[in-house]
Amino acid sequence: MTDQSGVLNDVRQGMIPAHIYNDKELFDLEKERLFSRSWLFVAHESEVPQAGDYVVRHVLEDSFIISRDEKGEVRALFNMCLHRGMQVCRAEMGNASHFRCPYHGWSYRNDGRLIGLPFHEEAFGGEEGFKKKGQTLLPAPSLGVYNGLIFISLDPNAEPLEDFLGDFKFYLDYYTKQSAGGIELRGPQRWRIKANWKIGAENFAGDMYHTPQTHASVVEIGLFREPKAEKRKDGTTYWAGNGGGTTYKLPEGSLEDRLRYVGYPDDMIERMKGQWSQAQLDVIGQDGFMISAASLFPNMSFVHNWPRVEEDSDDVHPFISIRQWQPISENETEVLSWFAVDKNATDEYKELSYKAYLMCFGSGGMFEQDDVENWVSLTNTAAGSMARRLLLNGRMGLLEDGGNVVEPLTNEQYSGPGSTRVGYSEYNQRELLTRWADHLERPIEAAAQLKVGMTAVRKTSKSGSASSCVAAEAPIDEAAETVLLGA
Amino acid sequence: MPVVTADLKACQGYANCVMAAPDYFDLDDDGNVVMIKREFPESERSRVTEAARSCPVSALTVSE
Repeated sequence: MTDQSGVLNDVRQGMIPAHIYNDKELFDLEKERLFSRSWLFVAHESEVPQAGDYVVRHVLEDSFIISRDEKGEVRALFNMCLHRGMQVCRAEMGNASHFRCPYHGWSYRNDGRLIGLPFHEEAFGGEEGFKKKGQTLLPAPSLGVYNGLIFISLDPNAEPLEDFLGDFKFYLDYYTKQSAGGIELRGPQRWRIKANWKIGAENFAGDMYHTPQTHASVVEIGLFREPKAEKRKDGTTYWAGNGGGTTYKLPEGSLEDRLRYVGYPDDMIERMKGQWSQAQLDVIGQDGFMISAASLFPNMSFVHNWPRVEEDSDDVHPFISIRQWQPISENETEVLSWFAVDKNATDEYKELSYKAYLMCFGSGGMFEQDDVENWVSLTNTAAGSMARRLLLNGRMGLLEDGGNVVEPLTNEQYSGPGSTRVGYSEYNQRELLTRWADHLERPIEAAAQLKVGMTAVRKTSKSGSASSCVAAEAPIDEAAETVLLGA
Repeated sequence: MPVVTADLKACQGYANCVMAAPDYFDLDDDGNVVMIKREFPESERSRVTEAARSCPVSALTVSE
């Protein structure tokens, strides 16, 4: 394996070797050391509201069935039959009490338990040959839920999800908890772009600088009043916990005035006032900032904008989108894009908000088209030999001696957690890439293997506000845990 | 009213019947078919008959 320490050190200095955006060896390392242990978003609870509902989602090549079992508990089950490895669920979503393997007909309940094993006695000699009792589809090693957002990690020793989210929860609530009802999702739209996955994550995390240039045409046609250069630089970038994002500066006015300015109706404003903490309300009402795009390390992003939707009206309508940059290869990404909306909002609001989302983002969205043209071109150019000679300057906001162009806002100036600055900078992109470097530098630890039919499967460890803790239920054969992966 | 019956000795837990008509068939924790309903109205005949016919070991029989 090539020594990547030089690349990682450069990245930590804010100097980005251009080839990291199209490099097979680095992608292999990302698979082995980043996506094998980081918390990754897979679905929202509102996508599986009823017992038996499921969606199938991927972590790179690994397919997981995210199901709600008959007791109402959310499960993440590795979608591979314990017998010959066939996918037991080949639909993308649905409702089922059982998953039945099409190959030899083994069947599993929607909590993963193996139930049907044809000719167990005759073919395997019953329990003496194959211990059917206690066998389940392999659960994701760790599962956590926050505000209905379901995350999994392939690391059984992952830190608790809420610790990982940290102070980013403060900002996550703006997108996913506008009332006690939480959000409901539509989608995802799913499509592939020939671009490296990191580019989108970095862009959404903190790239206010591209807006006036890349998205100029959106402003010119009068769809959106905000991205003018002079306005965008008055907003902030913030980084908190393992995520960060951007805000717009709002005009003078009260909390209510400012929420109305971005298009929220009074019934939603009242529910926000009942839901959010005083500090969360003060970021808007007192400090005058409204959240826009954001990214949670490594590959989940959010966007909140408020375009004009109807031709004959100057009214703006806010929308929220959640998205994931699912890596396919070093130069291809599958984008999953959901529309999210407060469950308690009126149908009329939901409809207009959905229109606003479709105009701006999603596979046909105008912002989307602008962005992806850049990202595909960048990825292509990063593949060549000349790109290996170039260390891109990702130090915006830093002086050569390490000093700051702009100092962070003080507690008197800003009510939210984390480090927040007014104006253009690349602090957030550096935060993402520093975490990326930290993962790539650290070899992965030994992972357990399961001998099917010989031992019982360990249950997923759980964390998160919506789930109780489930300890290991069945004894694990110690000998099966000694095989080292990637050592 | 027509009736569907199960031969518990023949059942191997393929769960084809559960996929076809989950309101008539289930599997217990040992992988044996459990009849939720035996009798079915004429309007359900094609669905229940199809579920019975889908059993690889012919454990289900429809009778009048």
